[in-house]
Amino acid sequence: MKNSTLVFRSLGIIIFLAGLAHLFSFGIDTSDDAPTPTIETNAVPVEQPEAENPTEKPVANTAYNPETDHLIGQWKVAYNTEDFKGAIVYKIKKESKVFNAYTHQYQDENGYAEKAKGSKALTITSFNGSKGKGIYNIEYEGKQYEVDCKIAQVDENTFTLSYDYYGYGDVETWKRQ
Amino acid sequence: MIDFLAKKLDWLDVHHWFYIFNDLSLFYIIIPFFVLELIRYAYLKRLDKDLVLDSIANVITFGGFFLVEVILGILAITKVYYWVYNNISLPHLELNWATVICCVLLADFAYYWEHRTMHRIGIGWATHTVHHSSPHFNMSVAYRFGPLDAIMPVVFSLPIVMLGFDPILVLLSEVFVQVFQTLLHTEIIGKLTKPIEFIFNTPSHHRVHHGSNRQYWDKNYAGILIIWDRMLGTFEPEKEKVVYGISQPINSVNPIVVFFHGITRFVKKLGQIKGFSNKLLAFVKPPDWMPKQ
Repeated sequence: MKNSTLVFRSLGIIIFLAGLAHLFSFGIDTSDDAPTPTIETNAVPVEQPEAENPTEKPVANTAYNPETDHLIGQWKVAYNTEDFKGAIVYKIKKESKVFNAYTHQYQDENGYAEKAKGSKALTITSFNGSKGKGIYNIEYEGKQYEVDCKIAQVDENTFTLSYDYYGYGDVETWKRQ
Repeated sequence: MIDFLAKKLDWLDVHHWFYIFNDLSLFYIIIPFFVLELIRYAYLKRLDKDLVLDSIANVITFGGFFLVEVILGILAITKVYYWVYNNISLPHLELNWATVICCVLLADFAYYWEHRTMHRIGIGWATHTVHHSSPHFNMSVAYRFGPLDAIMPVVFSLPIVMLGFDPILVLLSEVFVQVFQTLLHTEIIGKLTKPIEFIFNTPSHHRVHHGSNRQYWDKNYAGILIIWDRMLGTFEPEKEKVVYGISQPINSVNPIVVFFHGITRFVKKLGQIKGFSNKLLAFVKPPDWMPKQ
């Protein structure tokens, strides 16, 4: 068999299988979450009181760890920097023994909301129910940095995330959405 | 069906399924099957000292391979995989049935090309010849590995990570393919039904792969699906009785000799080749290649 035939057939197989996986990941939405409008008409205040009904707590999962898995769900963080004034809603998921936070929604200072791309913002590598450590992806002057961070639970619906990267640091308050 | 394939899965569930097949299969199928093979050997009066020592050597070579795999894993694999995943991959894929199935199929396809490369380049065959050097064919042969056998899979699975698949899922899928392959190392099972023989790699197809009969050389590289061989021109059905082993038998059951004989032979070959560039070419040229003197 000619080498060119081998290359084209192989590429065809790879493109077909990878394309299928991407189609089922990004092309078909079977999410049972409540639909999130891309633009909200009602103003949403940046700082909201704590939600009384936290969502996305797995109840039927036998592997649910009540000490740590309350992190799973949506969390909102308010920002007031030169680059961004508003809030970001993150979705924390438990994946392979670690918790990953993905951007879920951007809200500007006037309360207008826009669906985020779902990129990974934070990986909580260890958490004992009150304190933990992780890797936080921050953007500074257009560049992405991965910095070590610390997590401290304040109460059931609030935790703080702190980091210090060569003197550039911050403490963020994450509130359950 | 589409909803089912796109349904998000929990990592813990996926880990659990792979754990049942990848890890526990040693206890519920591989060891019992090997015992069955030993009984069959005894019944056929083929259970001799050579076969027992050969099987022990196989398991010891696996120990050597596993040691290299662990060192490689700790030092590099996970870090390299995650660096690639975080820096040069397509958008990260969700965990659903479709991505798990596609990942296993891609790992199987990567295995095909990795396996083919191991047979068709000098340094690949120097390590993979260990797996083929046994004159027997049973489940213990599946564990007969060469010292560098752990390296090639990394090269061929990194592109799957670059396609957006989670590195852990890729590693689990690779092990899944290997475990499936392990189950093919048996003479007990003859040919299966035609549709299965057409689509899947079977003990019959894999016996051909281990044959030293000339028409069986470099055939049936598949892991799970034999259709890769059919599509890429390397399929050969089992017709003539298979003679297991390699063209230059090692005639030894010493685990050290077994484990290193491919590398030793390759180093000797390099010593016979003149010129630095020719020596380098010997690494990537086919195993029987020699420069025109």
